[in-house]
Amino acid sequence: MALMINDTCVNCAVCEPECPNGAISAGDSIFVIDPDKCTECVGYFAESQCLDVCPVECIVPNPQRPETREQLQRKFEQLLAI
Amino acid sequence: MNATAETTKLTKKDFESDQDVRWCPGCGDYMVLAQVQHLLPSLGIARENFVFISGIGCSSRFPYYMNTYGMHSIHGRAPAIASGLKLARPELSVWVVTGDGDALAIGGNHFIHAMRRNFDLKIILLNNRIYGLTKGQYSPTTELGKKTKSTPMGSIDRPFNPIALALGAGASFVARTVDNDLEHIRKVLARAALHKGTAFVEVFQNCMVFNDGAYGAVTDKATRHDARLVLEHGKPMVFGKQKDRGIRLRGFEPEVVQLGEGGVTEADLLVHDEQGANRALACLLSEFELPRFPVPIGVFRAVTEPTYDERNAQLQELARATKGRGDLSRLLSSGDTWTIESSETRSATWP
Repeated sequence: MALMINDTCVNCAVCEPECPNGAISAGDSIFVIDPDKCTECVGYFAESQCLDVCPVECIVPNPQRPETREQLQRKFEQLLAI
Repeated sequence: MNATAETTKLTKKDFESDQDVRWCPGCGDYMVLAQVQHLLPSLGIARENFVFISGIGCSSRFPYYMNTYGMHSIHGRAPAIASGLKLARPELSVWVVTGDGDALAIGGNHFIHAMRRNFDLKIILLNNRIYGLTKGQYSPTTELGKKTKSTPMGSIDRPFNPIALALGAGASFVARTVDNDLEHIRKVLARAALHKGTAFVEVFQNCMVFNDGAYGAVTDKATRHDARLVLEHGKPMVFGKQKDRGIRLRGFEPEVVQLGEGGVTEADLLVHDEQGANRALACLLSEFELPRFPVPIGVFRAVTEPTYDERNAQLQELARATKGRGDLSRLLSSGDTWTIESSETRSATWP
């Protein structure tokens, strides 16, 4: 499941440089995660890096993008291939 | 305003500077910065006509992060510098970003006079109720009893109420918002930006490191509906998750009532009026504190009063109309002047 940022976000940007996939960017009002690029850090780390650093706990699973660990692994491999 | 073609296509990005933002992760200041940057392109003002002026403190790093003109000025003196700038260049949109220490401790004097004079300034006070930059000493808005590095046994210092102070000093626009409510902060900042005169906005801003949770009940999604009263002009003062409680006035004393209990209906409740003939209602609301009352957020007061810069322009026009264009050198050598003569000249003329 890709991750998403909810409206608890205070725009502190601490998550942005932590994302190994470059999936996080500043959106119009709060930071956003591109679900096509988010692998929950599968392929890079055991833990999701943004979840680890977010001080206000605003990063949650994206219910629009249910994905298994295997699917995330495949997404990671596809992203590498690009 | 000196609008140019550029204004039509400005975006939030145009107002972001190339500086790394150096606030702590999770700081409420980030939200205010992002929302101000989001707001400015919608105002139809050319970027070169915005100026952000600050004093000293975490809040006062703000101008570095804005891709506009700005000045990180003297501790507590941002309102004075902003007032001077507005007087000299009335066409500019002048913003002050300050904190509870900067505005209310060292800058208390400048703050009240900015409120009183009604220059066309926007003053945003990021109130975290602590000295963050100096690592956690109590500030003029720290709550009684709060333990900080400089009040290890709890503060015995009665805090300022910034809203009451601004109202008391005669501010024409007084509002409060919170750092984690996107919709609300946007609305309040937009209202402040459009106000003609000194627009004062207090932002409840969380300091993650030195005063985390200072506004817990008011900002926490689970409790905020019951802990705050969202002020809306012309609407009865209703609050609570079920919108089942309200504020009623008994004589001069407000009270919280349960709707539907003892025949209480919305018609019995106080109706918010930002533009009242006097400040009484706004002052009454400014006193609301937990746990007895919900904490009001929104616009307390918004009235149109002549601004200092407008009055000054009229004065200048009148002076020119009656006395003609001024001549500085003639002015300086007119009136009660005298010549100091050298001793040689004096001895030559001395009888």
